[in-house]
Amino acid sequence: MFTQHNRKNRQLLASGIKSTYEDDLYPTRLNFYREPPPLEISIEEFEQFALDRMQVLQALLTAQMRNLTPEQLDKAVSEAIRKYMPMSPNSKSSTSHRQLMEERRKDHISHFILRLAYSRSQELRSWFLRAECALFRYRFEKEMLKDQLEFLEKQNLSWKKVSDEDKRLLKEKLKSSSFKPGNIDEETYFEVDFERVTGLVGRRQVYIQAGKAFVRLSDQVVLVLDEFKERLSHALEVTGRALPRMDEDDRLMPVLNNINKQYLGREFTSSAIAGEIQASDVDSVRVHMPLCMEHLHDELRREKHTRHGGRMQYGLFLKGIGLSLEQALLFWQMAFEKLTPEQFNKNYAYNVRHSYGMEGKRTDYTPYSCKSIIMNNAPGPGDHHGCPFRHFSIPNLRAQLAAHHVDEFDTDDIIHKVQQRHYQIACTRYYEVTRAKMVGISPENVKGGLSDSATGSLIASQEVIEHPNQFFEQSYLLMKNKNAEYEGGAASSSAAGAGGMGMDGVTGSAPLDATVKGRYTYKKANASISSNVQHDIDM
Amino acid sequence: MSDMDIDHDPREAPRIVEAGQPEEEAEKDDLDHLFDLDDSEFEKIDNPWMAGIKPTGLSSSADVAGDIHQQLMLYYRHFFPFKPFFQWLNYDITPKPSKSFLNREICWTLMDETFIRFQSYRTLEDFKNDMIRLNPAKFDLGAIYNIRPKDRHMVRPAAFIPVSKEMVFDIDMTDYDEIRTCCSGAGVCTRCWEFMTVAMKIIDVAMRDDFGFKHILWVYSGRRGIHCWVADERARQLNNEQRKAIVSYLEVIKGGTQQGRKVKLPNTLHPSLSRSFETIQEHFRNIVFESQEILSEPENWEKILALIPDEGVQAQIRQEWENSPNRAPAHKWSDLLTIIGDEIAQHSGKRQALEHLPRDIMFQYTYPRLDDKVSTNINHLLKSPFCVHPKTGRVCVPIPIEDCEKFDPSSPPTVPKLVRELNHYDATHSVSDGDSKLQDWQKTSLREHVEYFERFVKGLSREIREKKQKDGASSKSLDF
Repeated sequence: MFTQHNRKNRQLLASGIKSTYEDDLYPTRLNFYREPPPLEISIEEFEQFALDRMQVLQALLTAQMRNLTPEQLDKAVSEAIRKYMPMSPNSKSSTSHRQLMEERRKDHISHFILRLAYSRSQELRSWFLRAECALFRYRFEKEMLKDQLEFLEKQNLSWKKVSDEDKRLLKEKLKSSSFKPGNIDEETYFEVDFERVTGLVGRRQVYIQAGKAFVRLSDQVVLVLDEFKERLSHALEVTGRALPRMDEDDRLMPVLNNINKQYLGREFTSSAIAGEIQASDVDSVRVHMPLCMEHLHDELRREKHTRHGGRMQYGLFLKGIGLSLEQALLFWQMAFEKLTPEQFNKNYAYNVRHSYGMEGKRTDYTPYSCKSIIMNNAPGPGDHHGCPFRHFSIPNLRAQLAAHHVDEFDTDDIIHKVQQRHYQIACTRYYEVTRAKMVGISPENVKGGLSDSATGSLIASQEVIEHPNQFFEQSYLLMKNKNAEYEGGAASSSAAGAGGMGMDGVTGSAPLDATVKGRYTYKKANASISSNVQHDIDM
Repeated sequence: MSDMDIDHDPREAPRIVEAGQPEEEAEKDDLDHLFDLDDSEFEKIDNPWMAGIKPTGLSSSADVAGDIHQQLMLYYRHFFPFKPFFQWLNYDITPKPSKSFLNREICWTLMDETFIRFQSYRTLEDFKNDMIRLNPAKFDLGAIYNIRPKDRHMVRPAAFIPVSKEMVFDIDMTDYDEIRTCCSGAGVCTRCWEFMTVAMKIIDVAMRDDFGFKHILWVYSGRRGIHCWVADERARQLNNEQRKAIVSYLEVIKGGTQQGRKVKLPNTLHPSLSRSFETIQEHFRNIVFESQEILSEPENWEKILALIPDEGVQAQIRQEWENSPNRAPAHKWSDLLTIIGDEIAQHSGKRQALEHLPRDIMFQYTYPRLDDKVSTNINHLLKSPFCVHPKTGRVCVPIPIEDCEKFDPSSPPTVPKLVRELNHYDATHSVSDGDSKLQDWQKTSLREHVEYFERFVKGLSREIREKKQKDGASSKSLDF
């Protein structure tokens, strides 16, 4: 696909029509990427462009995940863009025309390279789709109205305008359908099928009547984005299908394969420590669990049963901390003590095996991240899963914090963060406060000084809890280091055994490093968690 | 235990697949070959009832009531309305099986709770034979796939794709357990049934007025809930994301057990919610005060008080209610309104927190509670209309929306009742009356339900015919 075009482009270049062609191609910064780039590039450029775009997409998604304020987010993203893939608007006079076109060409090409690299599996495709939609949206909203309109005009989007007459008839309904009703008379409305604006429909932010949605001009970004998403999603499917036929190009494939391995976000798989924890150990490692998992655990013990959402969230978490399939089956069967083995096997064993990739389409599921717990599959009546900071009422959350001996001052701080919707930061704060108590130092010291190496100062280094298994591992590691230190008398790295290696592994200041290395460490140390834990508890 | 009942439901089985992945992927995911048995793996079931037993031989109702196996066998052979059922699933005006029928997943649930997923049939006759052969406890309808579900092994798993299905809703009384006081779990009575009436009214009008759908079938689930099938072509074509949007548009009650206040709506209600609120106002008093007696016992009214974010106000109302616990609930409710009103008048800063609280409480205690997984996934299974509920023995009959107020969940016929009616009819009518052409169901009280269903199917056929004529006309005009 790509290479065929190169051939054609060589001719284009040869015929010397490059500049006029580009004028038509990139009238604005925005691009729907309908056509593959009509230019030839070197293999080095190919890789560099792709990696630069990755940096931008990565920065954007990370910023979004961090619950930053809009200003902070904008700052983080625009820095990445300036550094890796600057895109000047038409209005910027200091940028020459040639330079503008160069920037846009890079944008265009890099998009298509990543499209190739990320089309080979459903997982890659959906990551890329999400990232590109986020980037498009970010850019569209930054664009001046004039350029927005110019861009839209070129796209032949057939949206039907609502007549003034209809607008007058529907005035009250239109007004109560939007959060900030402006002047309805002056606002332009489009009439589209409700299927096209699922986001607005789902949030009840649009008036719909007999299957038609009445969308404001100022909400058009939704429509544009919808259009963008649909086309890209379709294009990715097509590319994915065409990809096997491209394998003959042995220059591109290694590069592409390398690119899509660059970053898919950090995932916790059980492989690192599989089989090191037994069903009977689960109760004893409960102290290291984040609030969400602790709650699920306690409810499971209380009710002798957990509904589907809870089994998924908790079961995969346990898988992530190293419960093997065999042990998981044992754990759940013992937990559902009211059931006979037959009942358990008939109704639940399949699901457990399934989540370990042993049934059905054999996907090896990874534990849910905080983001997915917060955003997806909110708990319904009778459910106990979800994120306590997000899904508990404030009084219930307070009660939970009190039960964990979080003092009033810290509780208020945490609740305040929850009210600002910074659920993960609230959880991070909860981590710092409770873990400081656990190892018997003040939270200030968790932040700095001695234990900085183990937990990192999460807030100070802008790192937040992003994954329940991250929470668990950091907590676990912190305790282990503490014990090692106690045994060794000093925090000397020469201390033998698991503890010593753990200390070694985590002296870096970045907590991300700490966990990754930490995990590596206790795998290498070959000490079973169960015996360690026993030890931890004794301390 | 009621919770575990839900877990028995095979509809849950595919859930495990959906949950762990990116949303976009979920669509293709139920291809999980659960309980994946081919015909060859089945022993031919040797059942004496296969030998053409006529229910007329069973005069005593006690005989019939005894064995659900036997009841179902009689039901499938004599009462199940195959013809309109086929016409519905075929979505065509000819009797020739169309893709909609051929590629539809049928999932049988046998008496021992074995599920046989991904079955599909080439003719109505095949379908009927299998139903009688297997004598299932119930069966579910799944999606219409791009190829026949039985042939799915002939393609890559990723190439077996669900393409359409009715938009469905499942409302189950167990989701109301935290707010109903009359029954719990599997129990249901006419008092709590009013929750279902409200749910039907609110969802039905939203489907019609907001989304423009016309062909909506409400079905009693046989025990404690209702199902809704929206069968318009446009509804059948919706993808998962669009289904999710509709559910989220309807959904008002959010949060799990630990979330006390589950409703928090903006000051200005969306037009669809204003309309729902009118329905809620009509029913709130009756359901909450009279039927459920929420304000009669401290244990129940404390749950309402817990929803009030202001402790001072909470205490005032509690005091008022405790002072005269036997006052009429309506008076207690006005206490709440008055105290909240006074508080806002004195502290305007509390307006934001308190002003719409009573409205949100009314929503929380009356608005429909949906099982969203059933609706948001195109390949989710839902029990077919006209099954017999194996526990209650009642037929899952359609409920005309205009009769939703009158519907009594204990009224749908059971198999023994149908047998009695049939026997009675045959005894009082002679063959020469020209009745020989009558189907057995036409001689019983199932008749009104099937005839209603036939009207629903006819409505669909009419639209399909009109569309075909229009398409035909336009393609002809292109020819010339």
